[in-house]
Amino acid sequence: MPRREHLLKIGVSGIRGVVGEFLTPALAASFAQAFGTYVGGGRVVVGRDTRPSGEMLTHAVACGLLAAGCEVVETGILPTPTIQIYVAATHAQGGIAVTASHNPPEYNALKLFNAQGLFFNNYERAELLDLYHQSNFRQASNEEISRVLTDHGSAPRLHFDKVLAHVDAGRIRNRRFRVALDAVNGAGAVTTPGFLRDVLGCDLEAISIDPTQVFPREAEPKPETLGEIAALVRQCHREIGFAQDPDGDRLAVIDENGVVLDNDDVLALAVDAALRRRPGDVVVNLTTSSVIDDVAAAHGCRVYRTPVGEANVVETMQAVNAVIGGEGSNGGIIFPAVHLCRDSYTGMAFLLDRMAETGEPVSALASRLPKYYRRYGKVAYEHGRLGPLMQSLEAKFPAAAKDRADGLKLLLPEGWIHVRASNTEPLLRVAAEAKSQATVESLYAEVLRLFNG
Amino acid sequence: MPDEAARSLRISQVGLRGVVGAGGLTAAHVLDFASAFGTFLEPGRCVIVGRDPRASGVMLREGVVAALLACGKDVVDLGIAPTPVFQHTIRRLDAAGGISIGASHNAAGWNALKFFGRNAIYLSTAEANELLDIYHLKKFSFVEWNRLGTLQSNHHSLDPYLDELAAVFDFDALRRFRVVVDCCSGTSSLILRRINERFGFQFILINEKMRGVAFAHEPATNKDMVALQLAPLMRPLGADAGFLFDADSDRVAFATEDGAAISEEMVLPMLADYLLPRGEGKLVITNVSTTALVDEVAARHSSEVVRVAVGRQAAIDALSSYRPEQIAIAGEGTGATMMPQFRFVYDGIASMLALLSMMRERGGKLSEIVASYPRYSILKGQVPLVTHRIPALLASLRERYADGRPNVVDGLRMDWPGRWFHVRVSQTEPVVRIICEQRGDPPHDLYATLIELVRSFA
Repeated sequence: MPRREHLLKIGVSGIRGVVGEFLTPALAASFAQAFGTYVGGGRVVVGRDTRPSGEMLTHAVACGLLAAGCEVVETGILPTPTIQIYVAATHAQGGIAVTASHNPPEYNALKLFNAQGLFFNNYERAELLDLYHQSNFRQASNEEISRVLTDHGSAPRLHFDKVLAHVDAGRIRNRRFRVALDAVNGAGAVTTPGFLRDVLGCDLEAISIDPTQVFPREAEPKPETLGEIAALVRQCHREIGFAQDPDGDRLAVIDENGVVLDNDDVLALAVDAALRRRPGDVVVNLTTSSVIDDVAAAHGCRVYRTPVGEANVVETMQAVNAVIGGEGSNGGIIFPAVHLCRDSYTGMAFLLDRMAETGEPVSALASRLPKYYRRYGKVAYEHGRLGPLMQSLEAKFPAAAKDRADGLKLLLPEGWIHVRASNTEPLLRVAAEAKSQATVESLYAEVLRLFNG
Repeated sequence: MPDEAARSLRISQVGLRGVVGAGGLTAAHVLDFASAFGTFLEPGRCVIVGRDPRASGVMLREGVVAALLACGKDVVDLGIAPTPVFQHTIRRLDAAGGISIGASHNAAGWNALKFFGRNAIYLSTAEANELLDIYHLKKFSFVEWNRLGTLQSNHHSLDPYLDELAAVFDFDALRRFRVVVDCCSGTSSLILRRINERFGFQFILINEKMRGVAFAHEPATNKDMVALQLAPLMRPLGADAGFLFDADSDRVAFATEDGAAISEEMVLPMLADYLLPRGEGKLVITNVSTTALVDEVAARHSSEVVRVAVGRQAAIDALSSYRPEQIAIAGEGTGATMMPQFRFVYDGIASMLALLSMMRERGGKLSEIVASYPRYSILKGQVPLVTHRIPALLASLRERYADGRPNVVDGLRMDWPGRWFHVRVSQTEPVVRIICEQRGDPPHDLYATLIELVRSFA
């Protein structure tokens, strides 16, 4: 359990915390009222993932929005990208997703979207946070208070149609792919089986598709949590397995042998699929693997690097009008032609489309990517020690090229090291990558020795 | 409208009330107060939520539901429901209690939360104080993420309530009356339409469409509002009686078949007259602002009137100091009455049915029944409050009218034979209320002098 002060976080990213003593309905309502004030009234979409606290917080959010004079459109349980697309498609003033994404089930949070269904930029977030702290909210009178509408049906179709415009759905359907799904009993439980089975014509074996049940595994889809779906792929002879996080924005992929693909490689496959259709700029965060540079280079395309965080990647993607982007390690594929957000559905469609196009198994597609070896880890540090630690790291690798956009990234001839402080806890996140296992281990070990010594 | 909302907020033993908007009743108040109630209630039973048709009711409902769920309460939302139906549902589902969202007789811009315990009983003063302490302390018992309450909608609460009415009143006899009702855009239409449909009554409804913003007129149950639209329809429609309800159907006023608007003060004495000989209960509980006709009626039945401070809370506390079977009726001069048959909740619909039952028993026209009582004339007014001068005002009144019999249970009431006045500070609005009554003609001179005197302290 994190320390008490980390159980609630109110910051430029919004509000997140452990439901109960920490994230209370009153906090959610006043944050929503600040949001309603910020967007100036009008229609606001509210959706949620399947967390048990989602219903309670949805009512609190609706209360705050109504109090600010907004009309509330309640969509019920939906994946976050679907909510974002619905906001944009229905010309709402903004949207709120009640979801703590990949965080454990006791957490919940509000994700806030503007009229385009995008995360607010950093300046807007700061402005909204100030407004929240000033507590000078718009207070609608009886005449100005609007209503709550519900639309529990139409959003998934809007989302799926956008995805289908960028793949050859006919050739995917013709293959009748044998697919496995693990929706972690999250928002994907209500939309993904229909997407894979009915929209893409797959023969589906699905687990964890009951939205009324708790998350059966750790919410973040990463290799060590995906044993069940990997076993399902092997036992049921699936050609591919997909695993989502509770709000359906992140994707993990299991190949036909039951091996969980590296998330950076999944992003690389998606980047390749996108650039094959239309070359252009690629944006990823600093911790994402160099495999992206290789794939982009093969298409003659440029890669931009940003600080870690979806909002940072999205902001740069907007600025350079990127064709595709994402964040490797956490399974986020962002394809703006569908929507400028992490979208597991675009990822699934891209991979199936490439499999249909090439006739190759997904393991073969992945094996053709340049091979990199990576290590990730966390190191606790004491407050006040961050500067000296970073300086010692810099001194250790005097010849390295440096990128200080987010912590410190050292670019070496044999690989790279990226160290950044967590936004939520006094932890340093360490990532290292190299062309060989031995090299990455030695780089990683050197960093740890430095920090622990 | 910040101007209207400013200074309107009142958080007291009666609950939370104010004009919705800046400076008034806000979402933050609603969440905190409902969280306090969720903390206050005994665990393990569901909580009923209902509202009147005010537009702001949706905002309050969302906040109330969120807070109760966060406290681990299972919530049954009745949607827009008359208060008597809401209270009946608390008993029927054996709920831990309920929160009623609605500002009753106040203008549309107002809203309020009212709190009820087990069996739909209003909170006692001690309980209300405990609730207020929790509210102010802001230490709420929110449960863990996996123990939150569930929400259920229930739109079938009306028929069970009507079943109870049908068991008490002789519907076969009452349905022959031709009755016009002014619903004043409130919830009474829900009940009356269903009574017509299910039991073949002939209620003719006006202002029947529920409205969230602009009510057909001020939803107060008083003579002026009866005279506005209802009374003029009596003769043209050939009605036997006409009734006016407030927005949440707990109060009633009426017009007679000849088109006369009757003072709301008549409801309680007439019902007392009807109920006193019928049951074991010999007590009438009312407040010091209610007509002296109650005393005359009670005396005829050798009964006693218990007079308490104005406001629901004083009546509730008085009720709890007697055995239920000792009491015939409790109520106010505002047209709000509670009968033991309905477990002492303010119920305008039951009050109307009791008056119709009385008409049936007496056999005459409603105007004749009204005329059979000695005539009292009451005048009511209000002056903006200047709190620091209230003690001086009351002292000055007492000195000036030293020949009267004083009662200081709530402000100052002075009595003379056949005449009295009452000056007090309102519990719901920042005003001083002035009421005076006289057997026979209205006491215009006394009223004018009082108003002038009170104003001189404002």
